[in-house]
Amino acid sequence: MSMRRMVRKAGVILVAATVLCATGGTLFAGGSGERRPAQEEITFTSWRTEDIQRMQRINRVFMEENPDIRVIFSPVSDQEYDAQMQAAIGAGVGAEIVFVRSYDPGRVLYDSDLLEPLNQLLPQLESFPPAAIDAWGTEEGTIYAIPFVGVTHGVYYNKGIFRKHNLSVPRTWDEFIQVSRTLKEQGETVFAQGTQEGWPLYEVIYSGLGANFYGGEAARQKLLKGEMRLTDRPFVRAFEKALELEEFFPRDHSAIDYVSMQQMFGTGNAAMFIGGSWEIGIFEDLGLGDDLGWFPPPVERVGDRLQYCFHVDAGIGLSRGNSGNAAALSYLEWASTPEFAQLFMNELPGFFAYTPGNYDLNHPVASKMIDAAQDADLTVRTVWQHLSAQVPSGNELMEEALILMYNKAISPQEAAAKVQNGLNSWYPAFRN
Amino acid sequence: MNHTTSIPGTRSVWPMIALFTVPAFLIYGRFLLLPIIQSIGVSFYSGPGMNPSEFVGFDNYRNLFTRAPYNVRFWNALRNNLIFFAIVMVIQNAFGFFMAVLLTRPGKGVHTMRILSFLPTTLSVIVVGFLFNMILNPTWGIFNEMLRIIGLEQFIHPWLGDPKTALPIVSIAVSWQFLGESILFYTAGIDSISPEILEAGKIDGVSFFQEIWHLILPSLVPIIGIVTIMIFVGDFTQFDIVYAMTTTRGNPAYGTDIFGSLFYRAAFQSPSRGGWGLGMGATVSTIMSLMVFLGVSFWLFIFNRQKKRFFQD
Repeated sequence: MSMRRMVRKAGVILVAATVLCATGGTLFAGGSGERRPAQEEITFTSWRTEDIQRMQRINRVFMEENPDIRVIFSPVSDQEYDAQMQAAIGAGVGAEIVFVRSYDPGRVLYDSDLLEPLNQLLPQLESFPPAAIDAWGTEEGTIYAIPFVGVTHGVYYNKGIFRKHNLSVPRTWDEFIQVSRTLKEQGETVFAQGTQEGWPLYEVIYSGLGANFYGGEAARQKLLKGEMRLTDRPFVRAFEKALELEEFFPRDHSAIDYVSMQQMFGTGNAAMFIGGSWEIGIFEDLGLGDDLGWFPPPVERVGDRLQYCFHVDAGIGLSRGNSGNAAALSYLEWASTPEFAQLFMNELPGFFAYTPGNYDLNHPVASKMIDAAQDADLTVRTVWQHLSAQVPSGNELMEEALILMYNKAISPQEAAAKVQNGLNSWYPAFRN
Repeated sequence: MNHTTSIPGTRSVWPMIALFTVPAFLIYGRFLLLPIIQSIGVSFYSGPGMNPSEFVGFDNYRNLFTRAPYNVRFWNALRNNLIFFAIVMVIQNAFGFFMAVLLTRPGKGVHTMRILSFLPTTLSVIVVGFLFNMILNPTWGIFNEMLRIIGLEQFIHPWLGDPKTALPIVSIAVSWQFLGESILFYTAGIDSISPEILEAGKIDGVSFFQEIWHLILPSLVPIIGIVTIMIFVGDFTQFDIVYAMTTTRGNPAYGTDIFGSLFYRAAFQSPSRGGWGLGMGATVSTIMSLMVFLGVSFWLFIFNRQKKRFFQD
């Protein structure tokens, strides 16, 4: 065969192969006479990268009921979530279904025209608890996310370690300190707590444990109205109480980050962990199993009513330009049903849905968390609502102040003053 | 005399020059120049979201330099960035140079060492940050454990938790990773020195240090300049290592916050998490670009002067 013929033949084969590759899908897919219906694809994003498998199991239920829709769960790490989600939706390539933070961080998205209003699309949202709607709604009544789940803050403990030292669960702060002291004397790592990152210090320790000392929701409301300041004695006391625990933190806690904290407790290397209800799944995955125990934030005196931080955590929103997206709307419709809420709470114990309905909470630790709310005054994180809407935000100020306090760079009084001074610069009620 | 760009008997070469340069200029202009100009433009606007629409003139710049907390974060980032640059520059230049001197001596395994020295540079910054985090972890990190084993327990320290040590540690991590780059440049420089010069030195009986000071160093002045400028640009636009080791907050308490992390936080995070809006973020990035431009010009000036001085000597 001459060279020219060989080249020509090779060319023909190449063209034929290209045509086959290009059309093969359609030619052979119809070989059996049946064609799968085209699937509509929607993406759901959240800040919880640890939930991929659990969320996939939940979404599988939806996809079985709606075979023409494919849901892709694509979370982004918590620290980067806001930035990436905003940029992606802004550029028109974002997820259709998005987790939305409560109050100001979520409101920013709506004000930036990145979320669709849901009142008309999901009229059933009107029946959700008003306090929850308030966290994802405007003053005019627009709801921009399904008010979906709340989380609580408290203290996890390792039942095995408590049993070993014959300790019982503390109810008051003094008992809490006494248990901590005993554990320390027995050579245990008392708390798997690190102080390198500010948000667990503020969200979980100050807001969670401190609420019993600053006066919970009543004090927070006064703070919002400008009737109290963070430099007032009750709030400073909460800083002092938070600092009291430092002597029980691991050595060199200032270099321990959040993931290391979780690993330390989840692998049974510490007796207690001051954390959020969202961490049940992580500790189970790390193998703590039946040794995982939990108790609510200790009150000051026996008989005091628990001031319980039951924080409005995650709403589910529809990103801009999707009000006519039937698949996304279908998923949102489902996400506002008790069926979805029950599935979510089963897969992710420690998240508590606001969706009206009757639920079975079969997880023992999650049940304890919800039981604690029965005889408690509920509140949310101290400076989350309104006080973190502008620069410098209350959240940011609290985190910095607490890191500095735990690093012994400033006192509790100075920490409170630092936050208050920052807020004085822009919060209207503090400028009078 | 009539100067012409035409070759006799042919048409003007300008169309040909245009044919080759215009596409390059268009691509450069569209994908590099225009975004920079747009970014500068955004720095004059304020407002929520990705499209700030309220024109505020120079207010963002005024806020950045004079109003708390913007100015506090800005000056803190500048201070940290200068320290970061100083540490990285000293380590990469000094160690890189001496390693290069050693690796250009004849000896067994030198070639392999040259290759190995470049390996860390091929790693992702995120991986390097993660590795250093693991090594320095106070609970299960190997570094403190090694100190304990060799009896230096008094030096055990929360390296990434103390604002005084966190920044130097992050700088060391970056230096470790990019040391191979400096070595590569310096070995190439030393290799290009005429063997006759070094031979003549040997005949004249120069010591090891005399050889370095009088023969090698003068030849490497331009390379020191290039390496320093690369470190300067890299450090003033660095983000990844802070992100990987101490989060975008520059923990602890902004102790490792540099321009890259400040810009990211300012531009892309919500106010509740330390964001300032895209307008302020663009302001930070404009100042960053200006600093890099001025810094590079300064270093070029310094090294050109030094080069002249060395070559005159």
